[in-house]
Amino acid sequence: MKPVLEVENLSFGFERERPVLRGVSFSVVEGECVGIVGANGAGKSTLLWCLLGLLKASGKVRLLSKRVGVVFQNPEDQLFMPSLLEDVALALVNRGVPAADARQTAVAALERVGLAHAATRPAAQLSLGERKRASIAAALAAGPELLLLDEPTAELDGRAVRQLAGVLAGLPVARLITSHHLEFLLGLASRILVLSEGRIVAEGPAGEILGDASLLEGAGLV
Amino acid sequence: MVLRARGVAGVLGFAGLLALIEWFSTGRVTWLPVVTVAVFLVSTAAFKMLPWKGAIFAVRPGSRLYSAVLFGLFVRHFAAILETESRRVLTARRLCISRKWGPGWLRSLAFALAALLNRTLVRAERFYAAQRVRGLGE
Repeated sequence: MKPVLEVENLSFGFERERPVLRGVSFSVVEGECVGIVGANGAGKSTLLWCLLGLLKASGKVRLLSKRVGVVFQNPEDQLFMPSLLEDVALALVNRGVPAADARQTAVAALERVGLAHAATRPAAQLSLGERKRASIAAALAAGPELLLLDEPTAELDGRAVRQLAGVLAGLPVARLITSHHLEFLLGLASRILVLSEGRIVAEGPAGEILGDASLLEGAGLV
Repeated sequence: MVLRARGVAGVLGFAGLLALIEWFSTGRVTWLPVVTVAVFLVSTAAFKMLPWKGAIFAVRPGSRLYSAVLFGLFVRHFAAILETESRRVLTARRLCISRKWGPGWLRSLAFALAALLNRTLVRAERFYAAQRVRGLGE
């Protein structure tokens, strides 16, 4: 399997004496779904921001895929257009794709996440679960090989979590998901990395890692 | 309607404050307060009347008009964020203080405005990051 992301010895701190990430190394291969779990403040979101180059970290990040899609924790940070269709098509239009083709791709992406019926509505009028799925559609429309998701289940109710899991499970792209929703990741991720105090303290198959009560207790996850 | 009246009153109050500051510091008042009110009226009218829906499909990517439409949409979105955050912060303040003009009203208002500034900066940073990642900076 071809790797799409390689991270080597990544370190970052907002203050020198308090590092948030300490020598994080891992890789993601094509089509794989990897979960990063960690308690609040473990450095999950910071790690994603460092991967995207939004924070300047030391170490190496090699994004080997041509296109990377990102789903941020708060959909309002991503969706701002007068309609979902425009929000999803925007990245394509911006790349110079003809409007008709961009529309067609956007409709297909919205259908994939079950939101084709809401294409003409603005994101602000949708439920949080729908907005999260719309963010995924916006990321998918650009045809990414790697999808990064930051806490996709945050503030969602049980049904919305199940719908989201259903959407993510069917995607043929590599996915890197940060979350502390263990049940959600158990059914979705093939591999789990446990982040604690900025370090990866464990890595392995989802069933094995998420079944280790003492490991999860030590990482502040249960 | 009450909120709209309050919004207009807020802008007029802000313009009045600008005029007062100018008067006390230089002894004269420039056109700045008038321009402030004019910009508010023109931009409010533009945001209400312009056909934003579908506009992004109608303009040529990379053109000046495209940049202007995107900028308008950014501002429109950010104005909504500012409104939501203001409402949250001021509601939280109202629930915390015992009387509207009671002891500490100015202090709590100052803290609320500082919190609003902080929240707005965080939201702006995230919004910028999200749009940059989407390729809008290319």
